[in-house]
This record gives sequence, C-alpha cells and structure tokens, in this order.
Amino acid sequence: MSTIELEARSIVKRYGPLVANDHIDLSVLSGEVHAVMGENGAGKSTLMSILYGMQAPDSGQIFLRGAEMRYRSALDAIGAGMGMVHQAFKLFNSLTVWENVVYGMEPTRFGFIDRREAARRVAALADRYRLQVDPNAVVGQLSVGVRQRVEILKALYRDARVLILDEPTAVLTPQERDGLFDIIRNLTADDRTILFVTHKLHEVMAITDRVTVLRDGKVVDRMVTSETSAREIIRAMTGRAVNLTVEKRPSEPGAVVLEARGLTVATDGGKPVVDRVDLAIRAGEIVGIAGVAGNGQTELIEALTGLRIPDGGKVAINGADVTALDVERHRDAGLAYIPEDRATTGTALAASAADNLAMGFQRKPPLSNGRLLDAGAVTAHAKKLIDRFGVKIGSEQLAVGTLSGGNLQKVVVARELSHAAPLLIAEQPTRGVDVGAIEFIHAQLVAERDRGGAVLLVSAELTEILALSDRVLVMFDGRILAELPAAEADEETLGLLMAGRVGEAHLSDGTEAA
Amino acid sequence: MSERSLRAPRLPRVPAVPLAIGIGILIGGLLVLASGGDPIAAYREILIGALAPSNWPNTLNWAVPLVGMTLVAALPLRGGMVNLGGDGQLVIGGLAAAMAALYLPLPGPLLIAASILCAMVASGLYASLAAWGETRFGIPMLISTLLLSYPAIGIASYLVGFPLRDMATGLAQTRMIPDAARLPVISGPLNIGLILMAIVAVAVVFYDRRTVGGYELRMRGLNAKFAGYGSVRLAAQQVRVMFASGAIAGLVGAILVLGSLYRYQDGALLTPGYTWSGLMAALLAGGAPLGAICAGLFFAGLQTGGFAMQRETAIPRVLTMILQSVIILFLAIRHGVGRKSS
Repeated sequence: MSTIELEARSIVKRYGPLVANDHIDLSVLSGEVHAVMGENGAGKSTLMSILYGMQAPDSGQIFLRGAEMRYRSALDAIGAGMGMVHQAFKLFNSLTVWENVVYGMEPTRFGFIDRREAARRVAALADRYRLQVDPNAVVGQLSVGVRQRVEILKALYRDARVLILDEPTAVLTPQERDGLFDIIRNLTADDRTILFVTHKLHEVMAITDRVTVLRDGKVVDRMVTSETSAREIIRAMTGRAVNLTVEKRPSEPGAVVLEARGLTVATDGGKPVVDRVDLAIRAGEIVGIAGVAGNGQTELIEALTGLRIPDGGKVAINGADVTALDVERHRDAGLAYIPEDRATTGTALAASAADNLAMGFQRKPPLSNGRLLDAGAVTAHAKKLIDRFGVKIGSEQLAVGTLSGGNLQKVVVARELSHAAPLLIAEQPTRGVDVGAIEFIHAQLVAERDRGGAVLLVSAELTEILALSDRVLVMFDGRILAELPAAEADEETLGLLMAGRVGEAHLSDGTEAA
Repeated sequence: MSERSLRAPRLPRVPAVPLAIGIGILIGGLLVLASGGDPIAAYREILIGALAPSNWPNTLNWAVPLVGMTLVAALPLRGGMVNLGGDGQLVIGGLAAAMAALYLPLPGPLLIAASILCAMVASGLYASLAAWGETRFGIPMLISTLLLSYPAIGIASYLVGFPLRDMATGLAQTRMIPDAARLPVISGPLNIGLILMAIVAVAVVFYDRRTVGGYELRMRGLNAKFAGYGSVRLAAQQVRVMFASGAIAGLVGAILVLGSLYRYQDGALLTPGYTWSGLMAALLAGGAPLGAICAGLFFAGLQTGGFAMQRETAIPRVLTMILQSVIILFLAIRHGVGRKSS
C-alpha cells in the first residue's frame, strides 16, 4: 500500500510574469486519498492540468509508478492510467449515460457499436463500485450528483488508476457529498488513488489520508491528515509570517449604512453560492468577513456592489434601495469599493495613473464641469493622491501597468478612499502586497473608520481580519455562519468556524451562530 | 482568458507604421515588377496624382467621405467596440438626405440643414439599434452592425428602384434634388462638405481629449470592466457612441448626395468602398482619432494617386488597395492582434 503511485518533481509553470507553479514536488501513495489544498490562485488547477497532460510544464518531471511520463496531451495521460473529473463536467447532455461513458472507446461488433455490450459493461462497472446510475438514462435529465458519477465512470471505464477530483463537492448537496465519499472509499479499497483538490477543510479532515498545501504557487506544507488539525491547515493555506497589529480605539458605531436582507445568489442548477445573507454595517465600524476563499464572499460582494444583480433579497445603502441598480448608482448612494482584483477590475493597466485616479471623479468639480475635463485638475488630483499615499511612480502620466502589486494597490486604495464615501467595501485589500504597503493600507482603513465611514472588509487573511475588525462575520458555504465581536474572535475559534465546525467553536452568549 | 483588459489597444509604436508602409511599398513594387510594369513610374504617378498642387482638390474631395468613414469606425473602436455597419448607415443617410431635399418644402440654406440633419438622425438611430440589441439582448454588435447593413442597402435599393425612381432615366435613382438643396461649391469639385467634415474631425478629436465622455470612452477601450466598476454606465454609453458614429456616416451620405451626386443613386455610395478603407484607417491608428484622421488622409492620397496611376500607366489601381491591405496586415503582425494570450 505504500508504494509511490504518482510523483511530481520540481514542476514549474509560468504565465508571463506570474509563476503559477514554483518548483512543486508532490508525491502520492498508491491507494490513498491525497488532498491538494490552497486558496483560489494558489496553483492547484495549474498543477492538476499538468499532471493530467493538458498543459506541459516549463520544467520538472512527472513519474507514474516509477516511470517518467512525457505527455503530449491528456490522451497520453489517460492512456497511462490518469483520470480526471473536472469541476465543470464534460458530458454530452443529449446522450445517454452509457454513450457518454464509452465515447471514444466503443465496443464494436461487425464495425458497428455494440450497444447492448456497451450498456452491459457500463452497468457492470457501476455495480462494482456501487455507483448508482441507470446506463440508459439521458445525462441532461440527471441531477448534478449523478452526472458526477457518470464522469467517474468515464474515468474508470478507461481504467484510471489515479483519479483527480477537482473541487468535486462544489456543486453537491450534503447528501450527494456523502454519497461521493462512499464512492471514494470503494475506489481506494480497490487500490485506486485519489487526488482530491479542494479548499474545504472539513472534507479534507473527513476523507483524506494526506494533505499537500499550496500557496502562491509553492508547496508550503505536507501533512498527514490524522496528525494535523483544521486550524493548522488553515494557517498553512492563508497564514503569513507577518503578524501586524494595528493601533485603534474602540469603535463607536452609528447609523446603519449598508444593509442586506435575505441576499441570495444562485448558480445554474446547483445550490446558491450566497444563501440568504443578512448583514448590517454601521458608520464608524469595521466589519470583517472571514472565510476560506470560495465560500461565496466574492459573489456576496458582487451582489452588494451592483456588479451582479442578486437572485433574491434586498440591498440598501444609507436607506436607499439599490438592489437591482448598476455600480454607478451604488456609488451615487455612497459606495466606495476596493475590488478583489486590482489588475482586471481596479485599474486600466494601459492608462496613466492620472486617468486611473480620476475614475469616479470625472463628472464632478473640480475635475470637470460635468462635460469638459480640466486637464490641470486631473493632474493635480493625481499628484495629490500619489503624494499622500506614497505611490512610487515616476510621473502621473505613466501607465500603471508597470507598477508593483503594492503600488498598484495603493493607486486603487488612494482613489477609493479619496471619495470619502459613507461606505467602503474593501475586498482582499492587501493580497499580494508587500509588508510596508500592508501596514499603510491597514492604517488607512482604520482612519476611514475613525472618520465615520462604514467599512466592510473581506479577507482570507485571518491576521488581517483580527487586526482590523470591530465585528467578525464568518462566511461558510454561502451563509453567514456566525457573528462575533472582535474581543471574542481569536484564531482558533475563527479557524473552526471557517471550517464549518460550529459545534466545536466555543461561542459565548454575545455570539450568534446562524 | 476571455478578459480583454490585457489586450488593450495600444497606439502603434513609432517605428511600426513606417515599417509597415515600407514593406507594403516593397511588396507592391515587386508585384508591379512581376507583372511587367515599372514600379518607380507607378509610384511616381501615385505621388503626382495625390500630391501635385493641381490635384489637391481631387485628393481632398476623396478624403472627405473617407476620413468621415474613418471617424465612423474610430469612435466606437476607441471604446473597444466595432461598427461594421458603415455601409448601411451611409446608405440610409444618403437616402434620407435625398428624400428630405426632394420633399421638404423649405427654402435654400434651411433645406440643406434639414436634409443633413435628417440624414444624421436616421443613420444615428439605425446604428444605435445595434448597440441597443447588444445591451438589451446580448446580440454582439460585431455581428449585428454588419448584418443590419444588408436590409438597409436592400430596402434603399428597392425604394429608388420602384416607388422613388426617376422615371425619366432607366436607372435606379431618384430625381435630381433642387438647386437650393445642393451644397455650395468652394472651388472645382470641393464643396462646403469639406468644411463640415473638418469641423466634425476637430470635434471628435476635442471630444476624445478634453471631454468627460471622451475620457470615459477611452477608459472603456482600455478596460471595460474597470470602466463599469468605476461608474461609467456602459450600456448608455454604447448607445450614445453608436448614435454618434452612425450620425457621422449619415453626414457622409448627405455630403455625397447633396454635394456631388445631386441624387440618390443605387450603389453609388458603396462602390468606392469608403466604409472599409475607413475601417482600415481606424485600425491602423488603433482608434485614436487624430491618428485615424491622418491614416484616412493617407489612404485618400493613395487612392486618388491610384486613379492617376491607372490613367498614366497600364497598372490598375487595385495596386493601391493591395498596398493598403499589406500595410494593415503587417501592422497586425507587429502588434500580435488576435494572438492568443499565453
């Protein structure tokens, strides 16, 4: 049982300046369930697509049962005994289960597809691993959980020895998830190996044998599941060596500025990614939303800011209903917003710093009279912000695309804070930013609060949440799982809540668990 | 990656444009040589035909519609949008101008103004239809602008072929418009359409550089997601910009009908291919208005020079169209337009 089934040595993959996989070593024992964990963007998907032959690594080697593999395409990997169930299923919805399963490897008789034999083989395979599927059902009419079984059957039909499951539970209900875990146990009992890609802790604790944690393209930890804890894994996934404390007075919350009731964002056919979220953010407080990335925070913020129209519920800013309105009307109502992704949303990389900093101010004095821009005022505005926020840039006329992550983020933060809006939503405000910039941005967020602004902070960094928040909401699986005052929020409690384990977290009376 | 943000249209770097033009001239020259002509003579005739002082009026007269159609393409392109419907908008403008000139009971200058206005509004509305279709129903404008051209051209063709046809001639064309509706002549072939187009060109450059709308359009072109996040109302902007783009096409149609054809004639507005030359000029400049205007003037010179060359030598003027295409292709290679992001 302890021979090495799959091994990756020093895999490197770059996309332009981004190193998605930075000398990753991975070794998976035969017959084990091996979790590959990490936040969005940690490099999990890249690594899996390399192991499955969909992408070639820039350097590094892959060994399967000791033999070095050089895949030209996924077909080579499949031939060598790899199987993969993608997050988005790759099935023909109008065909039956058996047609999908045998596609490309059909049993034939006199040159024709032997339909009866194909259906029989698929049924036998399903039976063997106790995958309850009707081979003659049309895939389009099946539930998501059953479709996933069809995908697994496809891999087994090609005799996959190693099966990669990419975020397999993202679309499943709890019951379907339990069914999947039973299937996984049956597969490992047959000495098949599972690579389980996820960022959900409780699943890792429940089903896996060992864990490899990725962060920023590197392996940061390898653990044996039975010897570790959810908290340690969280720390490995999100933690940073820095532990910055921020000087701040106790908050003096005022009137409610942002209110959401029953906010829901649905996905196609699956369960909602944001599930009836209620929240209220008051003037003069920082409310942190903690959670492992991918638990609905991104979609929640999109629904709160007008980037996405929610499927249910209401959003009000300063009492004005903005639920179905666009971003500009949210901004009119009092929103400033530091988005998660500074390079694709927060800035136009090819535009000058002056143009980037003018966005949102272009229709109002002093930058314009509503129709004509005052070029001098645009420049002065930019110079003022660059100076005040210490953005390191040669001239305000230079494109911001050349700036470092920290400086680019300062451009975004400078612009949004200078709106002096009643509400600031800051989404991962210091992700990928150097320590100096983190300290500065944190101080600015606290200053924003002290000015009387309502601040909603979303961060996957526990240290950041703990350092800044006056209240903490824990988001898990699309819901606000718990709300706790800053005094009661510590790393352990939050860690357990972020893993969805309400029962084990020691919650006092002042804390609500939803 | 479906994001366009990183693929923001950049202005051609300084050496790229002369290089592409140089390569175009070289390949064109080789083609002339291969077909037994004299490339030096051919290029000399193009230069004389375009730039000799006595030929300026011709070049300018050709430049008015071509630069106009360049602006039609450049304005949406500045915001990362494509208007391929110039032909349809041109035809609608021309026909609207002719009908207004024929049927509106107004005196001289007023009649001209009303005809031009009708043309611009009609074409503007027709172009914004495509924008509305995209913002409301998600029909890509790249497709809808092109497809909307065909019914416009077809219906215009029917109208002048049957109900509006001038019975005195055997051709599909309207009656001649009254003298009062004809654009006053400056000298030779040049009429006040030149002045109108110059005003529009200046206005577009001014809009791009100095106005809030121009800033918002540029930001959209560089990163539409950023613009939307940052408070630009993308849908309204799209409809507005397409209205303006179509209106300029309408103006071009009106200038051609009121200034040189004096009637709407089936096919006459489209045969010279102003729309596509204009689109190429706009692409050459990456949508930047001033650059696009220069490129439009360059192509106008090339084309008028081509006519002269065809008259003076045995070389057909298709050569100049080849030059245009080669120049654009080489620019596209240099910029990796459409290259998959890695």
